[in-house]
Amino acid sequence: MAESSGPALIVEGLKEAGVDLVATLPDINLHAVLERVAADPDLVHVPLCREEEGIGICTGGYLVGRKCAMIMQNGGLFNSVNGIVSTLLQYNLPLLLLVYYAGDVGDRSFATNGAMTQPVLSALGVQHFILRDPNEAKALIKRTLVLTQDYKRPVAVLLTKDVLGRRSPGE
Amino acid sequence: MKRIDCFKVMAELAGDALVVTGAGANTVEWYACRPGDGNFRVRTMGLVSSIALGMALGLPHRQVIAIDGDGSLLMNLCSLPTIARKNPPNLVHVLVDNEVYEASGEIDTATGAGTDLVAVARGAGIRRASWVNSPDEMRTVFSEALEARDATFIGLKVERARSEVPPYPMDEVENKYRFIRHVEQTEGLSILSAHMPASFLKDS
Ligand SMILES: [Mg+2]
Repeated sequence: MAESSGPALIVEGLKEAGVDLVATLPDINLHAVLERVAADPDLVHVPLCREEEGIGICTGGYLVGRKCAMIMQNGGLFNSVNGIVSTLLQYNLPLLLLVYYAGDVGDRSFATNGAMTQPVLSALGVQHFILRDPNEAKALIKRTLVLTQDYKRPVAVLLTKDVLGRRSPGE
Repeated sequence: MKRIDCFKVMAELAGDALVVTGAGANTVEWYACRPGDGNFRVRTMGLVSSIALGMALGLPHRQVIAIDGDGSLLMNLCSLPTIARKNPPNLVHVLVDNEVYEASGEIDTATGAGTDLVAVARGAGIRRASWVNSPDEMRTVFSEALEARDATFIGLKVERARSEVPPYPMDEVENKYRFIRHVEQTEGLSILSAHMPASFLKDS
C-alpha cells in the first residue's frame, strides 16, 4: 500500500496532532490503520476487549498528561455510551474518537448501525465530522484534536470506506 | 475484616501514589485515610480499573492504585485481560469485595454466589493475584505489590458495614482539575492551558 493511503494519512495525522496513546478495537475495515498503530514505537497502543473500557483508559491517560485517541467501529461507540456520558461529559473531558462509519451510504455492512450513528452522536452533544477524502485526513484529525481540547468534550471523526480503502462487494 | 483497616495500612505505604476509587464508601473511607489531591473518584460504574490502567500506562514511573468494588469489577470484567496484556508494573488493583451492590441498596452480587474474582483475574492472565485475609497480611502483600515488576491484583473480603467518615468534599469537575494540577506539580508537567487571542501567538 502506498504511503499516501488513507490509513497511513490517518496515523500520520494522529502523530502530527501529538497523540501518543491510542486505544483500539478491530474491525476488518480498520485493519490497515490498526496495523500501523500497533507497529509504531512512538504510540502507546492499548488493544481493548470492549470499547467502553477504552473511554476509561483514555481518561486516565489524559489526567496524567497524555494526548489520547480511540479507534473503533460505530458499534463500539454504542458500547461506550455510559462512559461517554458519566465520565467524559460529566467531568468535561476531551477525547478524539475515530469511528469507522459502518453502514454509511455506499457501505453495505451494518446498515442499522449506520442509520443510528449520527443521531446518537447528536443526542450526546458530541460534534462529529465525516472524513470522505483521504487528502483531508491529516488536517481534519489535527483540527479535531484541538477542538476537543478547547471544547472539553469528546469529538468524533467518522471514517468512511472511501478513506479506509476498502469497497463493499458489488460496488 | 473492615475495609478501612486495610485502607489505613495502604495509606501508610502508598506515598504519593495516584489513587482511583469508585463506589461511594470506598471513595470516602479511602479519602479519610489519605486525603489530598492525588485521588480521583470515578462515576462510571466499572471504569475504576480502566482509568487507573490509563494512568499507569501514561505515567510509567508513577505508582497507581485502583480501589475497585465487586459490583463495579463485575460490570467491566474485560478490564482484567486488558491489564494482563499490558501488565504495567506500577499498577496495583485492589478489589474490595463485600458481595453486595452497596451503593445501590445492599442487593447481592455474583461474588456471594461463588464467583471468585481473584481466580477470574488469574485466569485473565494476571499472575500476581491473591486474596488477603487480614490487615497484617495486607501490609506484606501490598508492600510486595508496590515493588513488583508485574501488575498486581489483591482481593479483600470485607464486612458489609460502612465506617463513619466525612462526605467527599468536591464534585467531578473540581476533582478533575485538582487531580491534574497535582500531577503537574508533582511531575513537573504542563497539562492544562488556555487558548489566547491571536495577538499573543508567535507566528505559526
Ligand atoms: Mg460491593
